[in-house]
Amino acid sequence: MSDTTSRPRWGQTELELPVMPAAPPEGREPLIRIRDLNRHFGPRHILRGVSLDVYQGETLVILGGSGSGKTTLLRHLMAMLRPEDGRITIKGVAAGGRDLDMASASDEDIESYRRNLGVVFQMAALLNSLTVLENVGLPLVEVDRLPPEQVRERVVESLRRVYLPAEEILNLKPAALSGGMRKRVGIARAIIQRPRIILYDEPTTGLDPVTVNGVNELTLDLQKRLGVTSIVITHDMNAAFMIADRIALLYKGRIVACGTKDETRLNPHPVLQQMLTGSTTGPLTEGYGS
Amino acid sequence: MNARSRTKDTAAEVVTRSHAGRAAERTGGVLMKQARHAGRGVLLFVDTCAQVRNVGSVLPQLMRQVEMAGFGSIVVLALIAGLTGMIMAMQTGFELQKMGLQENLGAIIGATFLREMGPIWCAIIILARVGAAMAAEIGTMVVNEEVDALRVMSINPVRYLVLPRVLALVISMPLLTAIADFVGLAGGALVSEAMFDVTIAKFKESAILLLNGPDFWYGVFKSGVFACIIGTIACDRGLNTTDGAEGVGRATTSTVVLSVVFVLVSDFILNAFIQAVMRPIFG
Repeated sequence: MSDTTSRPRWGQTELELPVMPAAPPEGREPLIRIRDLNRHFGPRHILRGVSLDVYQGETLVILGGSGSGKTTLLRHLMAMLRPEDGRITIKGVAAGGRDLDMASASDEDIESYRRNLGVVFQMAALLNSLTVLENVGLPLVEVDRLPPEQVRERVVESLRRVYLPAEEILNLKPAALSGGMRKRVGIARAIIQRPRIILYDEPTTGLDPVTVNGVNELTLDLQKRLGVTSIVITHDMNAAFMIADRIALLYKGRIVACGTKDETRLNPHPVLQQMLTGSTTGPLTEGYGS
Repeated sequence: MNARSRTKDTAAEVVTRSHAGRAAERTGGVLMKQARHAGRGVLLFVDTCAQVRNVGSVLPQLMRQVEMAGFGSIVVLALIAGLTGMIMAMQTGFELQKMGLQENLGAIIGATFLREMGPIWCAIIILARVGAAMAAEIGTMVVNEEVDALRVMSINPVRYLVLPRVLALVISMPLLTAIADFVGLAGGALVSEAMFDVTIAKFKESAILLLNGPDFWYGVFKSGVFACIIGTIACDRGLNTTDGAEGVGRATTSTVVLSVVFVLVSDFILNAFIQAVMRPIFG
C-alpha cells in the first residue's frame, strides 16, 4: 500500500505524487507489469510515468476522473498504442508462450496477445449490420476459421455463460436488444475465445441500477468460473467496491493510490475521498464553476 | 513629419507582412494537411491491394456491398442517363438541324456518352449514393468503437471493411457505366427519331461510323479507376473520423468534395493518357 497516510499536507505536488507498486505477495508474480509509462499527444502529457502490477486471476479496478488518462492506459493494454517511453510486459502471451514486451513486440506477438485478450467496450461496440450470432462468433469465423456448426455451438455456450436466452436472440440485430442485453452480448463476445485477460471499459455506463448490478455480478461470476484476470476502468465507485480485489487511482496521468478495498476506504488522498463521497468540491472539480 | 510618416509606413509594412505571413502559413498548413491525406489514401489503397489475396474470406460482405452499390444504383443511374441522353439530343439537334446535320446526332451523343458522360455520371451517382454512405457508415463504426473492437479481435479493418467496399465499386461501376451508356444512347435515339426524323437505324449507323470498339472500353477502364478513387477516399475518411457525430458529418462532406476533385483530375490525366498512349496502340 502507498505511504499516503504519512503525507503532511495536500499541495498539488503531493496530490500528484505517484505510488510505486509494492513488492508482490509471496508466491505471486505479476501477470502484467507496467513501468514508468509515458504518453504525449502533441503538447499534452497524458500518461506521466504510470507504474502498476496486475496479478494473475485478480480483478483490478482503475478509477479516475475525466481526462485522467484511463482510456489512454486502456488503449495501451489493448495494444492499440505502443509505449513511447516506459514498458509494459505481460507474462506468457506472446507467440510461443514467451513474455510480451509491448514496445518491441512483433505483429505476430501482438496477435498472439490479442487471442488471450477480451475487451468489453463502453457501448458494447457490436457491429450493427450483424446478428447476435454473427457478432459473438466473429472472432471464431474471421480469426479461428471454425466451421459454422462449431461457431453456433460456441456462441450459444458463450451467451448462456452471460445468462442470455441464446436461442431467442441469436438472429436478432443489436438494435433490437436492450442496453443491458447488448452489454451482455459484448461480454459474451469478449469471452468466446476463452481469454486469460479481460479489459472492461466503463462497463456499467448508461445502464439502470438493476442492470448495473447484473453486469457487476456477471463480472464477478466470470472471474470465479473462468479464473481470468480482469482490469476494469470505471468511475462508478459502487461497482468498484463490489467487484475489485484491488483498486488503483489514476490522477493526472499518474497512479497516486493503489491498494485493497479496505486500504482504499481508509486512504486520505483527497481525490479518492472526493470520488468516494461524490463531493463537488475537491481537486477533481478545482477551477470548475464560479 | 517625415519621421512620423516613415514610422507609419514601417508599421503598415509589418501589418501587411504579418497578414501575408499568416496567410502563407495557413495555406502551407492546408496544403501539408491535404498532402498527408493524399499520402494516407495512397497507403490505404496499396494496403487494400495487398489484401486482395484474402478476398475469399470476405465474400459475404462483398456480395452485400455489390448489391447495395450496384443493384441499388441501377434505377437512378438509368433515369439520369436516359434523361441526359434525351436532353443532349434535343439541345444538339436544334443546332444541327439549322445546318442540316441532324443525322450526326448518333455520333455526337455516342462519343459524349461512351467517352465522358457515362463514366462521369456513374461516378457522381455512386459517389453521392454510395461513397458518402460508406464514409458515414465506417465513421459511425469508428465513433462507436466497432473498428477498435475489430482490431482487438485481430481482424484487420482493411480486409474486413475496406476491401469488400472498394472491390464492390470496382465490380459495379464498369457495369453501371455500360448500362448508363446504353440507356443514354437509347434516350438520345428516341428523341432524335421523335423530334428530328432521325431513325434509330440511322442514329445507330452514325454512332458506329464515328465510334470504334475501344471507345466503350476506355470509358469502362476510366470507370474502374474512378471506383478505386471513390472507394479509397470514402473508406479513408471514414476510418479517420474523429470528434463523434460532427466528425462523421465532416468525413461525409470531405468524401464528396475530395472524390469529385480527384475524379475530375484523374479524368483529365486518363484522357491525356488514352490519347497519347492507348489510341496509337488500340485505336
